[in-house]
Amino acid sequence: MQQKVLFIDHEKCTGCRACELTCSVFHTGASNPSRSRIRVIKWEEIGLYLPLTCQHCEKPFCVEVCPTKACHIDPNQHRILIDKNLCIGCKTCILACPFGSPLFDKVEHITVKCDYCDDDPQCVRFCEVGAIQYLDVAEVSGMKQYTSAEKYTEALKMLQSNQ
Amino acid sequence: MYTGRAYPVDYRRYLKPQTEWGWQVAVYLYLAGIGSGSFAIGLLMEWLGYSPYSLRPMILWGPILVAIGALFLVLKLGIKRRFLNTILNPKTSWLSRGFYILSICIIVGVIIWGISFLPRLGLSVSNLSTLLLVLDITGFIFALATAIYTGILIQSVKYVVFWDTPLLPALFTVSSLSTGAMTVVLSVLGYSILTPSQGYPEQLMNALTITEWILIVIEAFVLGLYLVSRYRAEGYGKDSVRLLLSGNLRFVFWIGIIVLGFLFPIILEGFYSLFHEQRLLLILAGSFLLIGGFFLRFGVVYAGIKEENSLQKLIEYQYNLRALKETQE
Repeated sequence: MQQKVLFIDHEKCTGCRACELTCSVFHTGASNPSRSRIRVIKWEEIGLYLPLTCQHCEKPFCVEVCPTKACHIDPNQHRILIDKNLCIGCKTCILACPFGSPLFDKVEHITVKCDYCDDDPQCVRFCEVGAIQYLDVAEVSGMKQYTSAEKYTEALKMLQSNQ
Repeated sequence: MYTGRAYPVDYRRYLKPQTEWGWQVAVYLYLAGIGSGSFAIGLLMEWLGYSPYSLRPMILWGPILVAIGALFLVLKLGIKRRFLNTILNPKTSWLSRGFYILSICIIVGVIIWGISFLPRLGLSVSNLSTLLLVLDITGFIFALATAIYTGILIQSVKYVVFWDTPLLPALFTVSSLSTGAMTVVLSVLGYSILTPSQGYPEQLMNALTITEWILIVIEAFVLGLYLVSRYRAEGYGKDSVRLLLSGNLRFVFWIGIIVLGFLFPIILEGFYSLFHEQRLLLILAGSFLLIGGFFLRFGVVYAGIKEENSLQKLIEYQYNLRALKETQE
Protein backbone atom coordinates (compact mmCIF):
# COMPACT_ATOMS: atom_id res chain seq x y z
CA MET A 1 0.00 0.00 0.00
CA GLN A 2 1.30 3.44 -0.93
CA GLN A 3 2.01 5.53 2.13
CA LYS A 4 -0.12 8.65 2.34
CA VAL A 5 0.39 11.74 4.46
CA LEU A 6 -1.34 15.00 5.23
CA PHE A 7 0.12 17.81 3.16
CA ILE A 8 -0.55 21.27 4.55
CA ASP A 9 -0.26 24.39 2.42
CA HIS A 10 -0.39 27.19 4.98
CA GLU A 11 -0.60 29.83 2.26
CA LYS A 12 -4.07 28.61 1.35
CA CYS A 13 -5.35 28.41 4.92
CA THR A 14 -7.87 31.11 5.86
CA GLY A 15 -7.98 30.25 9.55
CA CYS A 16 -11.64 29.22 9.49
CA ARG A 17 -10.88 26.30 11.83
CA ALA A 18 -13.41 24.04 10.11
CA CYS A 19 -10.76 21.30 10.33
CA GLU A 20 -10.70 21.57 14.14
CA LEU A 21 -14.50 21.39 14.38
CA THR A 22 -14.81 18.50 11.96
CA CYS A 23 -12.06 16.58 13.73
CA SER A 24 -13.63 16.99 17.16
CA VAL A 25 -17.10 16.03 15.90
CA PHE A 26 -15.73 12.96 14.10
CA HIS A 27 -13.65 11.71 17.03
CA THR A 28 -15.64 12.79 20.06
CA GLY A 29 -19.14 13.61 18.81
CA ALA A 30 -18.77 17.06 20.35
CA SER A 31 -18.39 20.31 18.45
CA ASN A 32 -15.45 21.38 20.59
CA PRO A 33 -12.22 22.51 18.88
CA SER A 34 -10.25 22.05 22.10
CA ARG A 35 -10.77 18.28 21.71
CA SER A 36 -9.64 18.22 18.11
CA ARG A 37 -6.52 16.37 16.87
CA ILE A 38 -5.51 19.29 14.68
CA ARG A 39 -4.63 22.80 15.80
CA VAL A 40 -4.51 26.00 13.77
CA ILE A 41 -1.66 28.24 14.89
CA LYS A 42 -2.42 31.87 14.13
CA TRP A 43 -0.49 35.06 13.49
CA GLU A 44 -3.57 37.25 13.37
CA GLU A 45 -1.66 40.51 12.83
CA ILE A 46 -0.49 39.38 9.40
CA GLY A 47 -3.34 36.97 8.58
CA LEU A 48 -1.16 33.89 8.61
CA TYR A 49 -2.49 30.50 9.71
CA LEU A 50 -0.79 27.15 10.07
CA PRO A 51 -2.84 23.98 10.68
CA LEU A 52 -0.66 21.56 12.63
CA THR A 53 -1.15 17.93 13.39
CA CYS A 54 0.86 14.77 13.98
CA GLN A 55 3.65 14.27 11.44
CA HIS A 56 3.69 10.47 11.94
CA CYS A 57 7.48 10.53 12.15
CA GLU A 58 9.63 7.62 11.04
CA LYS A 59 11.39 7.60 14.42
CA PRO A 60 8.64 8.84 16.71
CA PHE A 61 9.77 10.30 20.03
CA CYS A 62 6.29 9.81 21.49
CA VAL A 63 6.48 6.04 20.96
CA GLU A 64 9.94 5.94 22.49
CA VAL A 65 8.97 7.67 25.73
CA CYS A 66 5.44 6.30 26.26
CA PRO A 67 5.54 4.41 29.58
CA THR A 68 2.63 2.08 28.79
CA LYS A 69 3.31 1.60 25.07
CA ALA A 70 -0.13 3.06 24.36
CA CYS A 71 1.58 5.14 21.71
CA HIS A 72 2.58 2.71 18.98
CA ILE A 73 3.36 2.40 15.30
CA ASP A 74 0.70 0.93 13.03
CA PRO A 75 2.92 -0.75 10.41
CA ASN A 76 0.11 -1.33 7.91
CA GLN A 77 -0.76 2.28 7.41
CA HIS A 78 2.53 3.96 8.42
CA ARG A 79 0.89 5.91 11.20
CA ILE A 80 1.36 6.44 14.91
CA LEU A 81 -1.63 5.59 17.05
CA ILE A 82 -2.55 5.94 20.71
CA ASP A 83 -4.43 3.06 22.30
CA LYS A 84 -7.12 4.74 24.41
CA ASN A 85 -7.33 1.77 26.74
CA LEU A 86 -3.64 1.85 27.58
CA CYS A 87 -3.03 5.61 27.80
CA ILE A 88 -2.72 6.85 31.39
CA GLY A 89 -2.61 10.53 30.46
CA CYS A 90 0.89 11.15 31.83
CA LYS A 91 1.64 13.63 28.98
CA THR A 92 5.22 12.38 28.52
CA CYS A 93 4.60 12.07 24.77
CA ILE A 94 3.46 15.71 24.63
CA LEU A 95 6.68 16.78 26.33
CA ALA A 96 8.77 14.72 23.92
CA CYS A 97 7.10 15.66 20.62
CA PRO A 98 8.92 18.39 18.66
CA PHE A 99 5.79 19.24 16.64
CA GLY A 100 3.39 20.18 19.45
CA SER A 101 1.34 17.05 18.94
CA PRO A 102 -0.16 14.82 20.57
CA LEU A 103 -2.77 16.85 22.42
CA PHE A 104 -4.44 16.30 25.76
CA ASP A 105 -8.19 15.68 25.85
CA LYS A 106 -9.33 17.17 29.15
CA VAL A 107 -12.71 15.46 28.98
CA GLU A 108 -11.41 11.92 28.53
CA HIS A 109 -8.16 12.61 30.44
CA ILE A 110 -6.03 10.95 27.79
CA THR A 111 -3.62 12.04 25.10
CA VAL A 112 -5.03 12.04 21.59
CA LYS A 113 -3.54 12.45 18.14
CA CYS A 114 -4.33 12.31 14.45
CA ASP A 115 -5.02 8.79 13.14
CA TYR A 116 -5.89 9.86 9.56
CA CYS A 117 -9.54 9.01 10.44
CA ASP A 118 -8.91 5.47 9.21
CA ASP A 119 -7.63 6.56 5.81
CA ASP A 120 -10.33 9.18 5.23
CA PRO A 121 -9.17 12.38 6.98
CA GLN A 122 -12.20 14.50 7.76
CA CYS A 123 -10.16 17.72 7.90
CA VAL A 124 -9.26 17.17 4.24
CA ARG A 125 -12.89 16.60 3.27
CA PHE A 126 -14.09 19.76 4.95
CA CYS A 127 -11.22 22.11 4.06
CA GLU A 128 -12.92 24.18 1.37
CA VAL A 129 -9.78 25.99 0.23
CA GLY A 130 -7.74 22.80 -0.06
CA ALA A 131 -5.10 23.84 2.45
CA ILE A 132 -5.00 20.29 3.81
CA GLN A 133 -4.59 17.43 1.35
CA TYR A 134 -4.11 13.70 1.79
CA LEU A 135 -1.47 12.71 -0.73
CA ASP A 136 1.02 9.98 -1.54
CA VAL A 137 4.42 10.49 0.01
CA ALA A 138 6.10 10.44 -3.40
CA GLU A 139 3.82 13.19 -4.64
CA VAL A 140 4.45 15.38 -1.57
CA SER A 141 8.18 14.81 -1.88
CA GLY A 142 8.08 15.83 -5.55
CA MET A 143 6.10 18.97 -4.74
CA LYS A 144 8.56 19.95 -2.04
CA GLN A 145 11.50 19.45 -4.38
CA TYR A 146 9.78 21.55 -7.02
CA THR A 147 9.08 24.35 -4.53
CA SER A 148 12.69 24.27 -3.30
CA ALA A 149 13.98 24.42 -6.87
CA GLU A 150 11.70 27.39 -7.60
CA LYS A 151 12.93 29.23 -4.53
CA TYR A 152 16.54 28.48 -5.40
CA THR A 153 16.06 29.82 -8.93
CA GLU A 154 14.39 32.93 -7.55
CA ALA A 155 17.26 33.49 -5.13
CA LEU A 156 19.82 33.05 -7.92
CA LYS A 157 18.00 35.59 -10.10
CA MET A 158 17.94 38.08 -7.22
CA LEU A 159 21.64 37.62 -6.68
CA GLN A 160 22.39 38.14 -10.38
CA SER A 161 20.24 41.26 -10.57
CA ASN A 162 22.02 42.71 -7.50
CA GLN A 163 25.41 42.11 -9.13
CA MET B 1 20.37 48.74 2.19
CA TYR B 2 18.71 48.42 5.56
CA THR B 3 15.67 46.25 5.56
CA GLY B 4 13.47 46.79 8.55
CA ARG B 5 11.78 43.98 10.37
CA ALA B 6 8.16 44.08 9.32
CA TYR B 7 6.56 42.10 12.13
CA PRO B 8 8.82 41.79 15.12
CA VAL B 9 7.75 39.19 17.63
CA ASP B 10 8.57 39.76 21.27
CA TYR B 11 11.26 37.24 22.21
CA ARG B 12 10.00 36.90 25.77
CA ARG B 13 6.78 35.31 24.60
CA TYR B 14 8.72 32.13 23.84
CA LEU B 15 9.93 31.81 27.39
CA LYS B 16 6.88 30.44 29.11
CA PRO B 17 7.20 27.69 31.70
CA GLN B 18 6.06 24.29 30.52
CA THR B 19 2.70 23.30 31.95
CA GLU B 20 2.33 19.66 30.92
CA TRP B 21 3.89 18.46 34.14
CA GLY B 22 2.65 20.70 36.90
CA TRP B 23 2.99 21.17 40.65
CA GLN B 24 1.82 17.63 41.44
CA VAL B 25 4.95 16.21 39.81
CA ALA B 26 7.09 18.71 41.74
CA VAL B 27 5.40 17.68 45.03
CA TYR B 28 5.88 14.00 44.16
CA LEU B 29 9.58 14.49 43.44
CA TYR B 30 9.98 16.55 46.59
CA LEU B 31 8.21 14.18 49.00
CA ALA B 32 9.85 11.10 47.48
CA GLY B 33 13.19 12.93 47.74
CA ILE B 34 13.00 14.04 51.38
CA GLY B 35 11.35 10.78 52.44
CA SER B 36 14.03 8.58 50.93
CA GLY B 37 16.83 10.99 51.89
CA SER B 38 15.78 11.11 55.54
CA PHE B 39 15.50 7.32 55.66
CA ALA B 40 18.98 6.84 54.19
CA ILE B 41 20.55 9.49 56.44
CA GLY B 42 18.75 8.09 59.50
CA LEU B 43 20.09 4.59 58.86
CA LEU B 44 23.57 5.94 58.14
CA MET B 45 23.62 7.84 61.44
CA GLU B 46 22.72 4.67 63.32
CA TRP B 47 25.34 2.60 61.51
CA LEU B 48 27.95 5.23 62.34
CA GLY B 49 26.98 4.98 66.00
CA TYR B 50 25.50 8.47 66.43
CA SER B 51 21.94 7.32 67.00
CA PRO B 52 20.63 4.63 69.38
CA TYR B 53 18.07 2.04 68.23
CA SER B 54 15.47 3.65 70.50
CA LEU B 55 15.42 6.78 68.31
CA ARG B 56 14.43 4.83 65.17
CA PRO B 57 10.71 5.74 65.32
CA MET B 58 11.75 9.40 65.18
CA ILE B 59 14.24 9.20 62.33
CA LEU B 60 13.00 6.44 60.02
CA TRP B 61 9.48 7.58 59.11
CA GLY B 62 10.59 8.87 55.69
CA PRO B 63 8.88 6.07 53.68
CA ILE B 64 5.51 7.50 54.80
CA LEU B 65 6.44 10.70 52.95
CA VAL B 66 7.47 8.66 49.90
CA ALA B 67 4.04 6.97 49.94
CA ILE B 68 2.24 10.33 50.19
CA GLY B 69 4.39 11.63 47.33
CA ALA B 70 3.49 8.62 45.17
CA LEU B 71 -0.18 9.49 45.68
CA PHE B 72 0.47 12.87 44.07
CA LEU B 73 1.87 11.13 41.00
CA VAL B 74 -1.25 9.00 40.71
CA LEU B 75 -3.34 12.17 41.14
CA LYS B 76 -1.47 13.76 38.26
CA LEU B 77 -2.28 10.95 35.87
CA GLY B 78 -5.28 11.33 33.65
CA ILE B 79 -7.01 8.07 34.52
CA LYS B 80 -6.19 6.63 37.92
CA ARG B 81 -7.68 3.19 37.35
CA ARG B 82 -5.30 2.70 34.45
CA PHE B 83 -2.30 3.26 36.70
CA LEU B 84 -1.81 -0.51 36.70
CA ASN B 85 -0.87 -0.20 33.02
CA THR B 86 2.29 1.59 34.06
CA ILE B 87 3.66 -1.30 36.07
CA LEU B 88 3.64 -3.72 33.17
CA ASN B 89 6.53 -2.18 31.23
CA PRO B 90 9.59 -2.18 33.48
CA LYS B 91 11.82 -3.06 30.53
CA THR B 92 11.22 0.22 28.77
CA SER B 93 9.65 2.71 31.14
CA TRP B 94 11.20 4.55 34.06
CA LEU B 95 7.74 5.32 35.40
CA SER B 96 7.22 1.57 35.62
CA ARG B 97 10.64 0.89 37.16
CA GLY B 98 9.97 3.70 39.61
CA PHE B 99 6.80 1.97 40.74
CA TYR B 100 8.85 -1.06 41.79
CA ILE B 101 11.68 0.96 43.34
CA LEU B 102 9.25 3.12 45.35
CA SER B 103 7.12 0.15 46.34
CA ILE B 104 10.11 -1.75 47.76
CA CYS B 105 11.37 1.42 49.48
CA ILE B 106 7.95 2.07 51.05
CA ILE B 107 7.22 -1.53 52.07
CA VAL B 108 10.68 -2.27 53.50
CA GLY B 109 10.81 1.17 55.13
CA VAL B 110 7.42 0.80 56.80
CA ILE B 111 8.37 -2.70 58.06
CA ILE B 112 11.63 -1.35 59.55
CA TRP B 113 9.74 1.57 61.07
CA GLY B 114 7.06 -0.75 62.45
CA ILE B 115 9.64 -3.09 64.01
CA SER B 116 11.32 -0.09 65.65
CA PHE B 117 8.24 0.34 67.87
CA LEU B 118 8.51 -3.20 69.27
CA PRO B 119 11.01 -2.35 72.08
CA ARG B 120 8.62 0.41 73.23
CA LEU B 121 5.92 -2.23 73.55
CA GLY B 122 8.20 -4.34 75.70
CA LEU B 123 9.10 -6.83 72.96
CA SER B 124 12.72 -7.74 72.24
CA VAL B 125 14.17 -7.46 68.75
CA SER B 126 17.49 -9.13 69.51
CA ASN B 127 16.29 -12.36 67.86
CA LEU B 128 15.63 -10.46 64.66
CA SER B 129 19.11 -9.01 64.26
CA THR B 130 19.92 -10.84 61.01
CA LEU B 131 16.54 -10.06 59.50
CA LEU B 132 16.88 -6.44 60.60
CA LEU B 133 20.31 -6.16 59.02
CA VAL B 134 19.01 -7.54 55.71
CA LEU B 135 16.00 -5.19 55.87
CA ASP B 136 18.21 -2.22 56.78
CA ILE B 137 20.60 -2.82 53.88
CA THR B 138 17.71 -3.37 51.43
CA GLY B 139 15.95 -0.27 52.74
CA PHE B 140 19.09 1.84 52.48
CA ILE B 141 19.80 0.72 48.90
CA PHE B 142 16.22 1.35 47.77
CA ALA B 143 16.04 4.68 49.61
CA LEU B 144 19.12 5.82 47.68
CA ALA B 145 17.64 4.37 44.49
CA THR B 146 14.44 6.35 45.10
CA ALA B 147 16.42 9.58 45.58
CA ILE B 148 18.33 8.97 42.34
CA TYR B 149 15.18 7.83 40.54
CA THR B 150 13.39 11.16 41.12
CA GLY B 151 16.01 12.73 38.85
CA ILE B 152 16.10 9.87 36.36
CA LEU B 153 12.32 10.06 35.85
CA ILE B 154 12.63 13.65 34.69
CA GLN B 155 15.79 12.93 32.70
CA SER B 156 14.04 10.09 30.86
CA VAL B 157 12.00 12.61 28.85
CA LYS B 158 15.06 12.82 26.63
CA TYR B 159 13.87 15.58 24.36
CA VAL B 160 13.72 18.35 26.95
CA VAL B 161 17.29 19.66 26.91
CA PHE B 162 17.09 21.18 30.40
CA TRP B 163 16.42 17.76 31.92
CA ASP B 164 18.59 15.62 29.69
CA THR B 165 21.74 15.36 31.77
CA PRO B 166 23.06 12.95 34.43
CA LEU B 167 23.72 16.03 36.56
CA LEU B 168 19.96 16.22 37.24
CA PRO B 169 19.76 12.89 39.11
CA ALA B 170 22.97 13.94 40.91
CA LEU B 171 21.39 17.27 41.91
CA PHE B 172 18.17 15.67 43.08
CA THR B 173 20.06 12.99 45.01
CA VAL B 174 22.21 15.51 46.90
CA SER B 175 19.14 17.66 47.50
CA SER B 176 17.24 14.61 48.77
CA LEU B 177 20.03 13.83 51.21
CA SER B 178 20.36 17.43 52.43
CA THR B 179 16.61 17.96 52.89
CA GLY B 180 16.34 14.43 54.29
CA ALA B 181 19.08 15.17 56.85
CA MET B 182 17.23 18.33 57.82
CA THR B 183 13.98 16.39 58.18
CA VAL B 184 15.74 14.07 60.62
CA VAL B 185 17.17 17.09 62.48
CA LEU B 186 13.74 18.69 62.83
CA SER B 187 12.12 15.40 63.78
CA VAL B 188 14.64 14.67 66.54
CA LEU B 189 14.53 18.30 67.70
CA GLY B 190 10.73 18.23 67.87
CA TYR B 191 10.86 14.96 69.82
CA SER B 192 13.39 16.31 72.31
CA ILE B 193 11.31 19.46 72.83
CA LEU B 194 8.10 17.46 73.36
CA THR B 195 9.76 14.91 75.65
CA PRO B 196 12.44 16.83 77.62
CA SER B 197 12.88 13.89 80.01
CA GLN B 198 14.50 11.85 77.21
CA GLY B 199 17.35 14.37 76.94
CA TYR B 200 18.82 16.10 73.91
CA PRO B 201 20.90 13.81 71.62
CA GLU B 202 23.76 16.29 71.29
CA GLN B 203 26.11 13.96 69.45
CA LEU B 204 23.54 12.95 66.84
CA MET B 205 22.43 16.54 66.27
CA ASN B 206 26.00 17.75 65.82
CA ALA B 207 26.74 14.96 63.34
CA LEU B 208 23.52 15.68 61.46
CA THR B 209 24.00 19.46 61.25
CA ILE B 210 27.59 19.08 60.01
CA THR B 211 26.55 16.45 57.44
CA GLU B 212 23.66 18.61 56.36
CA TRP B 213 25.83 21.73 56.04
CA ILE B 214 28.34 19.85 53.87
CA LEU B 215 25.49 18.50 51.73
CA ILE B 216 24.10 22.01 51.15
CA VAL B 217 27.49 23.20 49.94
CA ILE B 218 27.81 20.18 47.61
CA GLU B 219 24.25 20.79 46.40
CA ALA B 220 25.04 24.43 45.60
CA PHE B 221 28.09 23.30 43.63
CA VAL B 222 26.10 20.67 41.69
CA LEU B 223 23.31 23.20 41.01
CA GLY B 224 25.90 25.62 39.59
CA LEU B 225 27.42 22.89 37.42
CA TYR B 226 23.97 21.81 36.27
CA LEU B 227 22.92 25.31 35.22
CA VAL B 228 26.21 25.98 33.44
CA SER B 229 26.03 22.67 31.58
CA ARG B 230 22.44 23.35 30.50
CA TYR B 231 23.29 26.90 29.43
CA ARG B 232 26.05 25.57 27.23
CA ALA B 233 23.96 22.69 25.88
CA GLU B 234 22.54 22.80 22.38
CA GLY B 235 18.90 23.63 21.82
CA TYR B 236 16.61 25.11 24.41
CA GLY B 237 18.77 24.49 27.48
CA LYS B 238 19.95 28.09 27.37
CA ASP B 239 16.38 29.36 27.26
CA SER B 240 15.39 27.19 30.19
CA VAL B 241 18.22 28.67 32.25
CA ARG B 242 17.16 32.17 31.17
CA LEU B 243 13.59 31.41 32.11
CA LEU B 244 14.74 30.31 35.54
CA LEU B 245 17.26 33.07 36.19
CA SER B 246 15.64 36.09 34.58
CA GLY B 247 12.30 35.02 33.14
CA ASN B 248 8.95 34.21 34.70
CA LEU B 249 10.55 31.84 37.19
CA ARG B 250 13.14 34.31 38.53
CA PHE B 251 11.41 34.70 41.92
CA VAL B 252 11.22 30.92 42.29
CA PHE B 253 14.96 30.71 41.59
CA TRP B 254 16.39 33.70 43.44
CA ILE B 255 14.03 33.77 46.44
CA GLY B 256 12.79 30.18 46.61
CA ILE B 257 15.94 28.28 45.70
CA ILE B 258 18.89 30.57 46.38
CA VAL B 259 17.76 32.66 49.39
CA LEU B 260 15.48 30.18 51.16
CA GLY B 261 17.20 27.00 50.05
CA PHE B 262 20.86 27.97 50.36
CA LEU B 263 21.65 31.38 51.89
CA PHE B 264 19.33 31.36 54.91
CA PRO B 265 20.09 27.77 55.98
CA ILE B 266 23.85 28.26 55.61
CA ILE B 267 23.81 31.55 57.55
CA LEU B 268 21.38 30.37 60.24
CA GLU B 269 23.27 27.13 60.75
CA GLY B 270 26.47 29.14 61.02
CA PHE B 271 24.88 31.15 63.84
CA TYR B 272 23.57 27.95 65.42
CA SER B 273 27.07 26.52 65.56
CA LEU B 274 28.02 29.58 67.66
CA PHE B 275 24.89 29.61 69.84
CA HIS B 276 23.94 25.98 70.41
CA GLU B 277 21.22 26.78 72.94
CA GLN B 278 19.27 28.82 70.35
CA ARG B 279 17.37 25.93 68.79
CA LEU B 280 14.95 28.30 67.11
CA LEU B 281 17.77 29.08 64.67
CA LEU B 282 17.92 25.41 63.69
CA ILE B 283 14.14 25.19 63.32
CA LEU B 284 14.16 28.28 61.09
CA ALA B 285 17.12 27.00 59.04
CA GLY B 286 15.40 23.64 58.62
CA SER B 287 12.08 25.15 57.58
CA PHE B 288 13.74 27.41 55.02
CA LEU B 289 15.81 24.53 53.64
CA LEU B 290 12.75 22.32 53.23
CA ILE B 291 10.86 25.12 51.44
CA GLY B 292 13.92 25.69 49.22
CA GLY B 293 14.04 21.97 48.41
CA PHE B 294 10.48 22.14 47.13
CA PHE B 295 11.20 25.22 45.01
CA LEU B 296 14.23 23.46 43.50
CA ARG B 297 11.97 20.70 42.13
CA PHE B 298 9.30 23.20 41.20
CA GLY B 299 11.75 25.39 39.27
CA VAL B 300 13.44 22.49 37.48
CA VAL B 301 10.10 20.95 36.45
CA TYR B 302 8.57 24.20 35.20
CA ALA B 303 11.73 25.42 33.43
CA GLY B 304 11.82 22.29 31.26
CA ILE B 305 10.65 24.02 28.11
CA LYS B 306 11.10 22.03 24.96
CA GLU B 307 12.29 22.87 21.51
CA GLU B 308 9.78 25.14 19.83
CA ASN B 309 7.63 23.53 17.18
CA SER B 310 9.93 23.25 14.19
CA LEU B 311 7.20 23.93 11.60
CA GLN B 312 6.12 27.04 13.48
CA LYS B 313 9.77 28.11 13.67
CA LEU B 314 10.16 27.58 9.92
CA ILE B 315 7.16 29.80 9.18
CA GLU B 316 8.48 32.48 11.53
CA TYR B 317 11.82 32.46 9.74
CA GLN B 318 10.12 32.48 6.36
CA TYR B 319 8.02 35.53 7.20
CA ASN B 320 10.74 37.31 9.13
CA LEU B 321 8.83 37.05 12.39
CA ARG B 322 11.80 36.15 14.54
CA ALA B 323 13.65 39.41 14.13
CA LEU B 324 13.75 40.43 17.75
CA LYS B 325 14.74 36.97 18.87
CA GLU B 326 17.73 36.94 16.52
CA THR B 327 18.89 40.39 17.55
CA GLN B 328 18.63 39.51 21.22
CA GLU B 329 20.56 36.30 20.75
